[in-house]
Order: sequence, then C-alpha cells, then structure tokens
Amino acid sequence: MIELAQTTIGGVLTGLVYGLVALSFVVIYRAARIVNVAQGQLVLVGAFLLWTAASALGLPLWLAVPAALAGTGLLGVVLERLVFRPLVGQSGFTIVLATIALLVLLQGLVQLLWGAETRPFPAVLPSGSLHLGPFRLNRTLLLGGVLTVLLTEVLHWFFLHTREGLRLAAVAEDHFTALSMGISVRRATTIAWLLGGALACLAAMVLLSGRLLGASAAGIGFVALPVALLGGLESVRGAALAGVIVGVGEALASAYLDPLTNGAMSPIFPFALMVIVLLIRPQGLFGWRVIERL
Amino acid sequence: MLPSGVFFTDHAAEAGLLRTLPQRLWLAALLAALVLLPLVAGAHLIGLLTMLCITAIAVLGLQITTGMAGQVNLGQSAFVGAGAFVAARLALAGLPLPLVLPLAGLAAAAGSVAFALPAMRVKGFYLALTTLAAQVMFPILIIRLPAAWFGGADGLGVDPPTVAGIRLGGATAMYLLCLGVLVVMATAAFNVGRSRAGRAFRAMRDNDNAARVLGIDPLRTKLAAFFAGAFFAGVAGALYAYQVRYVTTEQFTLWQSVWYVGMLLVGGMTQPLGAILGTLFVTLLQEMLRSAGGALLDADVGLQGGAIFAATNVLLGSVILAGLIFEPRGLAHRWGLVVAAYRIWPYPHR
Repeated sequence: MIELAQTTIGGVLTGLVYGLVALSFVVIYRAARIVNVAQGQLVLVGAFLLWTAASALGLPLWLAVPAALAGTGLLGVVLERLVFRPLVGQSGFTIVLATIALLVLLQGLVQLLWGAETRPFPAVLPSGSLHLGPFRLNRTLLLGGVLTVLLTEVLHWFFLHTREGLRLAAVAEDHFTALSMGISVRRATTIAWLLGGALACLAAMVLLSGRLLGASAAGIGFVALPVALLGGLESVRGAALAGVIVGVGEALASAYLDPLTNGAMSPIFPFALMVIVLLIRPQGLFGWRVIERL
Repeated sequence: MLPSGVFFTDHAAEAGLLRTLPQRLWLAALLAALVLLPLVAGAHLIGLLTMLCITAIAVLGLQITTGMAGQVNLGQSAFVGAGAFVAARLALAGLPLPLVLPLAGLAAAAGSVAFALPAMRVKGFYLALTTLAAQVMFPILIIRLPAAWFGGADGLGVDPPTVAGIRLGGATAMYLLCLGVLVVMATAAFNVGRSRAGRAFRAMRDNDNAARVLGIDPLRTKLAAFFAGAFFAGVAGALYAYQVRYVTTEQFTLWQSVWYVGMLLVGGMTQPLGAILGTLFVTLLQEMLRSAGGALLDADVGLQGGAIFAATNVLLGSVILAGLIFEPRGLAHRWGLVVAAYRIWPYPHR
C-alpha cells in the first residue's frame, strides 16, 4: 500500500514537470494558434543557454537564470519575426510543417554550437529528498511542481481576466476575425513566443537541475505533446492536470505493468493514452469544442 | 503547357500522362541512361542511386498521404520500418521477392490504418499526432515483441533476393531492381493523382466540409490515403531490407520521418514529381555536405564528426523554411515553369 502511494506521489511530481512543458505548448497555441512541434528543441536551447551562463561563463545563479530566461524568450521572438510572421494567415498545415522544419534546424544548430557530448547541468533547484512520514519526495521535482501550479494559476488569470490575455484568445480563435476586430495578430504572436520560450527555459531548469544535459533532452517535447493534447490545447489548467494524469499513469504502468510486458508499457503509455483520448474526446479534457460549418 | 499546334481530338489522349511524342522520347532516353549507368559509374554512385530510388518510393507514398490528401504524416519512417521487418521475416521464411514486396507493402498499410482510425473523430494536426504515436511506438514494440518474430533489439539479417532463379547479389542488380520498382511505383503514384480516388483526396485536402457535401466519405478517403501512402513505405522498406541486408529499429527513427517530410516539402507537395525532385535535391545536398565534411575532417581543422550531421540538419531546416516562406509550391513548380518556357520559346507568353 505504501509502495502504491509512493509510486503515485512520484508520478504526480514527474507529471507536473510534463505539465510545465505542456504549458509552454498551450501558451503558444492559446495565443497564436500554432502547435509548436519544436518545443522540445526550445527546451534544449534554454538548457544550453543556462549552462553557458552558469557553467561556462561562471555567472552566479541569480544572474544566470534570468539571463537564460530572457535569452530563450528572445529566441522565441526572433523565430516569430523571421519564420511565423511571414506565415500569418497561412493554413495550419503550412504552420505545422514550418515548426517541423524548425525542429530540424534548431536541433542541428544546438549541436553545431554546443557539440554533441553530454555535460553536467548546474543545480538550479536544491537536490536530495524530503522525508515525509513513510514517503520520500524528490526536492527538485517538489519545488518544480509548486512552481508549475503557481504558474498555471498566474497564466490562467492572465488569459481569462486581463484585456491582453483576452486579445490573445481572440487571435487563437481565428487570425482573420481577430484582425477585423482591430487586434494585432503580430503583437499576440510575439507575446506568445516570448512566453513560450521563457516557459521552455523554465521547464529545462526543473527537468535537468543537477542532472546530465545532452542533445537527447529535446525528447521531453514529444512526451509533453500528448499531455498538452489530453488537457486540451486551449486550456492552461488542463495542461497541469493532464500532466499529473500522465505522470501517475506512467509511474503505475512502470511499477505494475512493465514486469509483465518486458518494460514496454511505460514508454508507450502517454502515446496510447493520446490515441484513446483522440478517439473519445478529440478536443481533450478542457479544450474548446470547434463546430465547423460549410 | 503544350507547344503551339498540339491538340487532341479525344479525352484519353488529353488526359494521358505523356501526351506528345517528344515527351515519350525524352522519358525513354532518361530511363535508358539510368539503366545503362552502371556500365560507366562507380560502385559508390550506384549505391547512392539505389538508396535514392528506395527513398523516392517512400517519399512518393508520403506525397499521396500528405500532398494529395492533406494528412500530415510524421510516421512514414515507422511504416518503412514495418515493411522492412515484415520483408526480412518473410524472406527468412523462404518467400520469393515478387511475393515479399507486395506483402510487406500490405503489412505496412494495414498497420497505418490502425493509426489512421482516429480520423473518424479528428482531423488536421491532431491526426498528425497519431502518426507521431506510431513512430514512437514502433521501435518499442519491435524490441519488446518475442525475439523469434522480428529479432528483438538485435534485428534481422536478410539474404540477397532471388528472382526467377537468378541471385541478385551484386550492387548493379540491386540498383536495377530498385530502379524498376521505382518506375512502377512512380507510374502508380502519377496515376493515383488523376483517378477518382486522387480527385477525392484533393477535394478533401482543399476543403473537407465541401468534399463531404460532394458525397465523399471523409473517413474512407482518409483511411485510403494512409493505406496507399504506407503501402509505398512498406515496399520501400522491403527494398531497403534487401539492399542493406540487415534491419534494426535504429534505422527507422522519427528523425528519418522528418527528413521524408522535408524532402517532400522542398520538392513540392502537390505533385508526385515533387517527391522525386525533392528526394534528389536533398540527397545530393546531404552527399555534398558529407564529402565536403570528409575533406574538412581530413584537413584536420579541429572539426568534430557530429558537426557535419548537425550542419546538414541546419541546412535542411533552413531550406524547408525558405521554401515554405518564398516558394511553397516547391521545386516541382519551378521545374514546370522551366519546361513551359522551353516549350513556348521564343515567345515569352503563350
């Protein structure tokens, strides 16, 4: 019983990290209607920027962290200006393909600039484990989880209760409608990419703090994609909740189903769940239901 | 566009793929040159062209799914892999090549339908995610399945194929086989485009709600698009297994799928010609970078081996982005402009 609870708690904490990456998907989608397949690569860039600032340049953490956040946000803005602004008004299909190209480009660029070898990532958050009764909690993930929950609430408030956030929602609904209502699509997409980049960097910190950093860290993007989908691409709170669901499911599958299936269940779980969600409730748990007419 | 003075009196001639004698002669000359090439070309070039033919078949399939029917497919490499593993298994069981190729295609196509089933509920980008799921699940499944089926993590070895009692062991024989299969598959792909199914695909790509009103069943059409595209992938996979003689899951990555999409985008999505031009262009680009990188490595300027792969990615990503922004219709469109200019020369306009 204690083992079950321990597995569940571990799953919740890992899931909140997934939720944080999913949140960066949601922010970009929610404000620009772009599903950024290259989000994992943004996480990677954020991680390497922080590594450069903290380890290579030797800046203290209180300076390195904001610098990396700003750097990744800036990269998002540059990408928006160079790639996605010329594509405003194009079909979603074209934009997805552009993000795929971006995935290839960024992955290559990171490898070209920083090399392929893995290196230790600075410990941004305290490590070790916290003992709570019979349970052990990973301190890094716990702090990351608290951060995710706080951010979720702040972003939820921003998107639903501020004028700027509502403007972003209008852009997410339809570029042309938003334009005809006098809302600047360019401004909205710039804000979206700024936020999306900064969140990706933040996710990198929580995910990699005190671990090893290598080019494969970008894989988190593909794990978080099903999470964003399950929560609904338009829902900020949904991302965190879906992260918890996927994290717990994965942890339980890893503990109880993997021994029976030769370790196949836990890596497949998020994707199997995604296919099932798409079959039953395509818009995700809290996404917008779109009704199309001819 | 046709030269002045060429006209047709019946529909069959008008709708043909090759409509004039010069077109037929040019194509025949090209094919003859490709068949006779091994007489003069070195082993490296022949090997490169064999892989190019195999890749072109996979990208032609992707053109049907993504270009014609408008369904983004991020799992083409997994379907190629499914074809390769099934082909390797069947070849080990002693089946001849003429049976293995279609069976591998059908197996990959059947697998793709399972992942296209969410099409009854979702469309567009969401459907692309299920193909992503196929791509991620593929290696996990192959490795975890009993090793007696597909060799598990070790993969499977394949013997050279035997056709009509002749063992196709050499590089030239494999090249001619792959070229022949490419010609057959390319003809099929061009013909899909002008069949009822192809028109249904395009109608659904352009406006799926309007296509429904016209009496096109969206679910059936989408499944058909995935089936056809993955059939091509399966055939390509079978050829790949015979060519490389060894299949493991590491050869069929998500990365490879992204490359397939990139090739199609650079070439131009809307025509099968784009698939072939794109494959040619990207493969040449890769090869040029590889030899340039090799020269740099030999010169020993402090360059790492991985940097060349990375540089290839940077270049491909930039080429796709530039294509999307400046020429979304791809190389095939540019090629069409050149051909039209040649035909109406010396007049600037029709």
